[in-house]
Amino acid sequence: MQDAVLAMLAKEPSHGYDLRARLRQSLGPLGESMNPGQIYVTLARLEKAGLVICERAGGLPERPERKVYALTPAGQQRVTAWLAEVGWPKPDLAEFHLKLAAAASARLADPVELIAAQRRELLRRLREAQHAALAEPAGAGAGLLLEGVVLRLQADLRWLDACERVWSKVDDEVEGG
Amino acid sequence: MGSIVLVARLVLADLRRHKAQAAMLLLAVTVATATMALGLSVRDVSEALYEQTRAATAGPDVVALSGDTGPAVASALASLADAPEVVAHHGPYRVVYADLTARGLSSNVVVHGFADKPGAVNRPLVTSGRWVRSGGTVLERGFATALGVGAGDRVTIAGRSYPVVGIAVTAATSVYPGAAQIGPGGGPTDYSGLAWMTRSDARKLASSRDLPVTMALDLKLRDPAATETFSDAHRDSAVRINFRSWQFTAQQDMGILKHSQPILVVGSYLISFLAITGVAALAAGRAAEQTRRAGLLKAVGAAPGLIATVLLTEYLALALAGDALGLVVARLTAPVIAGPTASRIGDVAGPTAATVATATVLAVAVAVLSTLRPTLRALRTATVTALTATAHQPRHRPWITALSALLPTPLLLGLRLTARRPGRAVLQACSTATTVIAIVALLTIHAQTERGYGLDGSAALPNLRGEHDRHLMLAVAILLVALAVVNTITFTWTTAMEARANMAIARTLGATPGQITAGLSTAQLLPSLPGAIVGVPLGTGLLSLFAARNAVDAPSSWLLGAALATLLATAAFTALPARLAARRPVAQALSAEG
Amino acid sequence: MNVSGAAVRACGLVKTHGQGQSRVRAVDEVDLEVPQGQMLAVMGPSGCGKSTLLHLLGGLERPTGGEVWVAGRRIDTMSERALARLRRRSVGFIFQAFHLVEELSAAENVELPALLAGRSRRQARRRASLLLERVGLAERARHLPSQLSGGQRQRVAVARALVNDPLMVLADEPTGNLDTAATLDVLRIFEELRSAGQTFVIVTHDERVAATADRLVSMRDGMFVDDTWLAGSHARGLGGLIGLEG
Repeated sequence: MQDAVLAMLAKEPSHGYDLRARLRQSLGPLGESMNPGQIYVTLARLEKAGLVICERAGGLPERPERKVYALTPAGQQRVTAWLAEVGWPKPDLAEFHLKLAAAASARLADPVELIAAQRRELLRRLREAQHAALAEPAGAGAGLLLEGVVLRLQADLRWLDACERVWSKVDDEVEGG
Repeated sequence: MGSIVLVARLVLADLRRHKAQAAMLLLAVTVATATMALGLSVRDVSEALYEQTRAATAGPDVVALSGDTGPAVASALASLADAPEVVAHHGPYRVVYADLTARGLSSNVVVHGFADKPGAVNRPLVTSGRWVRSGGTVLERGFATALGVGAGDRVTIAGRSYPVVGIAVTAATSVYPGAAQIGPGGGPTDYSGLAWMTRSDARKLASSRDLPVTMALDLKLRDPAATETFSDAHRDSAVRINFRSWQFTAQQDMGILKHSQPILVVGSYLISFLAITGVAALAAGRAAEQTRRAGLLKAVGAAPGLIATVLLTEYLALALAGDALGLVVARLTAPVIAGPTASRIGDVAGPTAATVATATVLAVAVAVLSTLRPTLRALRTATVTALTATAHQPRHRPWITALSALLPTPLLLGLRLTARRPGRAVLQACSTATTVIAIVALLTIHAQTERGYGLDGSAALPNLRGEHDRHLMLAVAILLVALAVVNTITFTWTTAMEARANMAIARTLGATPGQITAGLSTAQLLPSLPGAIVGVPLGTGLLSLFAARNAVDAPSSWLLGAALATLLATAAFTALPARLAARRPVAQALSAEG
Repeated sequence: MNVSGAAVRACGLVKTHGQGQSRVRAVDEVDLEVPQGQMLAVMGPSGCGKSTLLHLLGGLERPTGGEVWVAGRRIDTMSERALARLRRRSVGFIFQAFHLVEELSAAENVELPALLAGRSRRQARRRASLLLERVGLAERARHLPSQLSGGQRQRVAVARALVNDPLMVLADEPTGNLDTAATLDVLRIFEELRSAGQTFVIVTHDERVAATADRLVSMRDGMFVDDTWLAGSHARGLGGLIGLEG
């Protein structure tokens, strides 16, 4: 989030309000739930870190007293570094995997039930994302992001299917043996 | 050598997979060649039978007949018997014109007065009973068969009862009912049977009832072929004498077969035509498979020639087998077909080389014509496309849509769903037209009135030639109709199989099995309509080529009825396979396609 | 219309294939009720019996046991003819393999069920062009299926399924043969229809298609193992999907 806000400032100094509007435009429906204050919290953190500076600008008649944010040289450097970065968020599957193992070994819960519950949850999310995606015109920026979300969820659901296959077999063996 | 083995193996594999189809081709070719061989050999067979009867009965080379009696005639005949060309003679003998009644049937009869010991020439061959003796009569076999009389029965000749002591055949007269070779006083003849009596019985018969009598003399010439020369040399201006050569009598035997030959030969053409349409439809149904196989063989390096060889070998092998079978059938049935009377004896030799050759050409033509298209297509199709070939590429036929728009909804749907191959529609039309031609011919022949062989043209003794024609025509018509039925069922079934995906789809959309059946039927019935309409004039036209001058046309109500009945029957026969096809479960048909 | 408002209802539904030793229970004691306006997805691995279930609900196959009610009428005992009539008016089918009539143009394909249902040719034509426009294929109406892409063909099939305003649409792997873009096109149409209150039963193994539905049942070996309500509950909000916090 911080990096994205910095990169948006690289074009030109902007009001917090503009930044928020631009973010929401890129994120489409996903940005709707964004807390209105969140952008200011982020800007405050960046200012504290010396990456942006805040200038008071003479407000327009109808919008007086607006703060305009601009990048510092350190901020510039950080943006360049961010663009060159190839880091990728790691899917956090280990936790769920360990949850199943723990539940099974300690007989705390039926792993297959856990998987089913998880599956339902992911399907609900998928449905939301899917509906949002279908509502977007094809090929638009926000639609593309939603497509990514849908595909990730789909991948997760398939993994859950694989989990279910394996764990129900384990169950059978326990019951059978 | 290897390729011959390969071809044989592929052909056998194919035959095993398509038994019904192979059987149909075999059967159709058998019927066609048998009919044609019969048509071509009736003349030969008739001649052969005459020859054998002539040999067995010491048939005369020339029969001299005089319409009058009296001393002038006697001396003229005597001088003939003494002519230098004559090596042997029999007679002169009386020919008495009488009527004969047996088992309630009456007929004209000519009674020959013969010695009780037959002479050197014209020795009738007794086939049952014994030769004439005083008070008893011998009947000619053809005549006796028509009357249903055997040795030991009694017949009434000119009001007097005689026992039939024997049955015999002779080559001196034409087959029944042509025994009277000239009429009384040299006048015209009527249909007559032949009976023999002793000379004195014949004389008594003639004098007691004052019956007309003519005289006959059987002659054996030094040169049997020189009958013409003999007749010309001995024409006497004073006494009128008619000469009947053995060649003439043999020719007269053919009279009864006058219509048999065209019925059989034209019939065989029509049968072949139906065979071609039916087998062509089946072959087209297999075209996709053949095309795929051709592609497969090409892919493994076989030359296009090999593929053509396999395809043609299979059909040719079947056609030639059918040809052989047909010739055997013709050989076995020839005596019945070529000798409708019992007036001749003898065995039939096999068909002549020319007949065999013609029948074989016909069989090969059926095989080649019915498979020409798929073979050519298989050869033309490129290997890769052939391997992925589906049944056939769908084509949009807006005219079908336009045509179907005129019909009630179920028929409209049927046509849109099933009318895939206009070629097959043409075949169906041809098939129907051929059926109607056969039925028109049958009806027209039945509409003819001919003079019966009984006394004064009574039909109590039926006209054997007419009967024979009708029987032959009926047989040919039955064969044609049977083939047409098989064709119609084949066409509908092939269409149903090709359209099964569409029909399954239509059923998911809510088409009832009844609608599907009606649709399939319609797709076959529509082309039958023009076929039936064209068939009537074609049939009458074809017949007019062979008909006698006094022939009558069948009533037009009969012809109209025939066309309608053919259409109704077609509807019934298409509904059968259509209904079977429509009854298949939808889900199964769908998954087979999907 | 029946009192309960169920578009389709099945109880104790059993379908066995084969005989003797090789007898398989494709559908095993299934109870199901789909209220009108609901979009139900049936998920499961291939061979779990979900296609058979769909065929049973649409009257394409007859159950070995149990009952099926469509629009308040019991259909498992109906004659073939009555079933066909019911399908015409009440059921629209969509298949994975499209199952268009290859010899007929897109418009003619869409017209077919309308004509079967006894509409006049003009009505059928008008309705077909309306629906083709709705699925975005107005300019392709005169094309043959073989001249259309997979997605376009499936959209023609959707239009055809809708031509008689069916009580319910039964779809069997509707996107099974489609790429992502074409899948989205079809799902977008489904979503539109769903919001308009069209009842759907969709059989699929694609989570994405299943997620369009209001309700999801999972099938294993001919039985339902899970029945999940997907609609409603925007508990987390869309933002939660991408972790905008921080």
